[in-house]
Amino acid sequence: MAGEVLLGWVAVGLVVFVLGCGWRAWRYRSAPVHLRWDLYPVAHEPKARREHGGSYLEEKEWWKKPRERSLWGELLAMLGEIVLLQGVRENNRRLWRASLPFHWGLYLLVVTSLGIFAAALGWNGPGARLVLGVAGGAGGLLLALGAGGLLALRSADAKLKPYTTPLDRLNLGVLLVLGALSASIALSEGGVLGAATALADTARGRPAPIPPLVAVHAAVGALFLFYLPFTRMVHLFAKYFTYHKVRWDDEPLEPGSPMARRLRAALEYGVDWSAEHVGAGRSWGEVATSLPPAETKGGE
Amino acid sequence: MAEAGTATADALARLLAGNEGCDPARLVPLPFPYEDWRDEAIPPLTESQRARIEPGPDGVSAAQIPIPGGEEERERLVAGFLDGLRKLLTRENNWTFLQPLLLSMENCVKCQTCAEACPIYTGSGRMEVYRPTFRAEILRKIVARHLKPAGRLFPGLRGHDIELDWETVVKLAELSYRCTLCRRCAQACPVGLDNGLITREIRKLFSQELGIHMPELHEKGTVKQLEVGSSTGLNRAGLADIMEFAEEDIREKTGLDIKIPFDVEGAEYLVMHNAGEFLSWPENLQAFAVILELAGVSWTLSSELVGYDSVNYGLFYDDVQYARVALKHYEVAKKLGVEKMMVGECGHAHKALMPIADRLIPDSLRVRTESCLVVLEDIVVNEKILLDPSRNDFPVTLHDPCNITRSMGIVQPQRNILARVAPRFREMEPHGVSNYCCGGGSGFAICSSLNFGEWRTRVSGRVKLRQILEAFSDCIEPETKKYLCAPCSNCKGQMRDLLGYYDAWNRCGILYGGLVELIVNAMVDVREGFIEWNLH
Repeated sequence: MAGEVLLGWVAVGLVVFVLGCGWRAWRYRSAPVHLRWDLYPVAHEPKARREHGGSYLEEKEWWKKPRERSLWGELLAMLGEIVLLQGVRENNRRLWRASLPFHWGLYLLVVTSLGIFAAALGWNGPGARLVLGVAGGAGGLLLALGAGGLLALRSADAKLKPYTTPLDRLNLGVLLVLGALSASIALSEGGVLGAATALADTARGRPAPIPPLVAVHAAVGALFLFYLPFTRMVHLFAKYFTYHKVRWDDEPLEPGSPMARRLRAALEYGVDWSAEHVGAGRSWGEVATSLPPAETKGGE
Repeated sequence: MAEAGTATADALARLLAGNEGCDPARLVPLPFPYEDWRDEAIPPLTESQRARIEPGPDGVSAAQIPIPGGEEERERLVAGFLDGLRKLLTRENNWTFLQPLLLSMENCVKCQTCAEACPIYTGSGRMEVYRPTFRAEILRKIVARHLKPAGRLFPGLRGHDIELDWETVVKLAELSYRCTLCRRCAQACPVGLDNGLITREIRKLFSQELGIHMPELHEKGTVKQLEVGSSTGLNRAGLADIMEFAEEDIREKTGLDIKIPFDVEGAEYLVMHNAGEFLSWPENLQAFAVILELAGVSWTLSSELVGYDSVNYGLFYDDVQYARVALKHYEVAKKLGVEKMMVGECGHAHKALMPIADRLIPDSLRVRTESCLVVLEDIVVNEKILLDPSRNDFPVTLHDPCNITRSMGIVQPQRNILARVAPRFREMEPHGVSNYCCGGGSGFAICSSLNFGEWRTRVSGRVKLRQILEAFSDCIEPETKKYLCAPCSNCKGQMRDLLGYYDAWNRCGILYGGLVELIVNAMVDVREGFIEWNLH
């Protein structure tokens, strides 16, 4: 019975995680098209321009020339960010030393989780044992090291401390525990594959004894998944929007394009800002094409 | 300054409430010949000013916010602020920047990587209230505590145990005018967030909801521009006088008889100058006229209201005012029937007329717009004018305006020009898209009221001055005349005040000016000595 309850809790955690992340992503995606706010260098510029941070605006009569976009440039920049955490590496090497193992630990534990599902579906040979053991063990170790390092930095560094909340410490503490548990499970007798098999058997209605370490890990992991979408940890996918939809969004407006239609719709939104010069109670289009009402000296 | 030792919102709130000026001993040190330079502390507001105005947490005032008269007025201010904050987070009231704002508000991991990229934070000796995340973090905590449905649940644990009173509101408004929106911090952010944008959105909230803004940007800026035609107060009659004087000056200085074209229908280019050039740096306008005429370009200026001033300070604080000015600019161009607009040497006008306006201007008003740097590059590199670079036989360095480089990616054309006209050119470090702001960005260059001018020269421009001195370190003696090329009106305004305050002309022989002046100074068809070596 305890096994079923545990699996139920994990399922709830997973469902909330998926729905929560989906909701956050939808919220960003469905926001109105914004005015341009690009920031250079833009990764999809061709190499010759990308190297000095240039844009197509460096070209005379750029609108008469075909737009060149380098997919390779974008991929390279993304790879650098995901694999090496390039931004932190270049600008904050001290933090990077803890952040890199922390993120690699998470990546490996995601691989381990997917492997556990695969194992439940029948992937349980020596290859599975090796992959799950290495990914789960190394991932857990790296996560624990990274989370411990970040926790220490956030507790001791005068620059980070005032901006670190008790909840931030709690999050890192939870991840440290999860990492330590993963590493312990990987080193235990049945290993990660044994844990996966026990969970899969329980899910199939053949309750098997779930080792205490595994039970605690699953319960804490599910709790973490449960609240992750409501924290800033969603930067794991928000980063797609910050780069592709803001920093690198240099798409010029083409008359009659879907973007032009969305912008026209935005001009119909009603404005109710209260300052006198806005002259609210009309649409954006009307407000923008009118002069501000005469203002009294010294402001409103 | 209060100690930021605890990990609660209370620590930040205490800093915000503080009233401690920047310690001159902590300012970033300057190289030779400034090792002995001693700054005096920024003067606090006078007693009579202090009786009327609430300054920022550093004792400086930019927005000149009056102290609310009584309890009722104070409550109204707080309630108005919260209303504005709500509106800022709705698509109807803020479709223009909602997506980037939400992303930046909700995903900061508070790693503080951005801080070392900020010239104001580092230049001040790392004053906590200037940290790029400081004002953003206060705003996040207010949103979490006062706007979110479960804001009062576990505020201590979640770190948003921040109380909101009128002083917090006013200090936050002031603090939004301690960032030049240079976006260097955004470039350093590993998550891709933008504290500069958050700062701009705070300014916008105060302007569009509460009518609080820096007077130089609003009353003396966009309002005046829409009423009179220019934020300088220049009207059509004044403009005609200036042009007449400019033509005479060109004749005298260059030996060329040039008529500055006005309102030429169907010209290839409508040239959009910052009207500040006409009054403070007329040689820039004259140099443009000389180059365009001798290169055989079809161009015109406009005498229409707003059409002769490319300034759009709305970009820095208010979407409504921004849109009104931008639409006027495009209406003027459309009415003249020009083929294109060319933006003169003004960084924020570049950004306002090109990428930002791109998604705002309706099809019926659409006119293609180019940077003057691109047009000038074509003229210089393709030898449409004759040049003798040996006429510019003096050290030259380039200041990159943030709006042109970091926000638009126009980096190489100006360098291709300098390669042809300035044989002793040297880069500042860092440069291009990694440049440092002049310290006068986001409208600061035009604000010297109360004690803000002192703050601007001592704090926000400090790192730029260090860069300039380092670029000329091999020839820093005043006997060697040096040229700091700053192709942006607002940057030049800041350079004038910065070099003036630090006496850099007498100590180091550093003159500032635009790019076109350097080109004309090297033109074979022009009498020698277009650049006048005196600081003005």
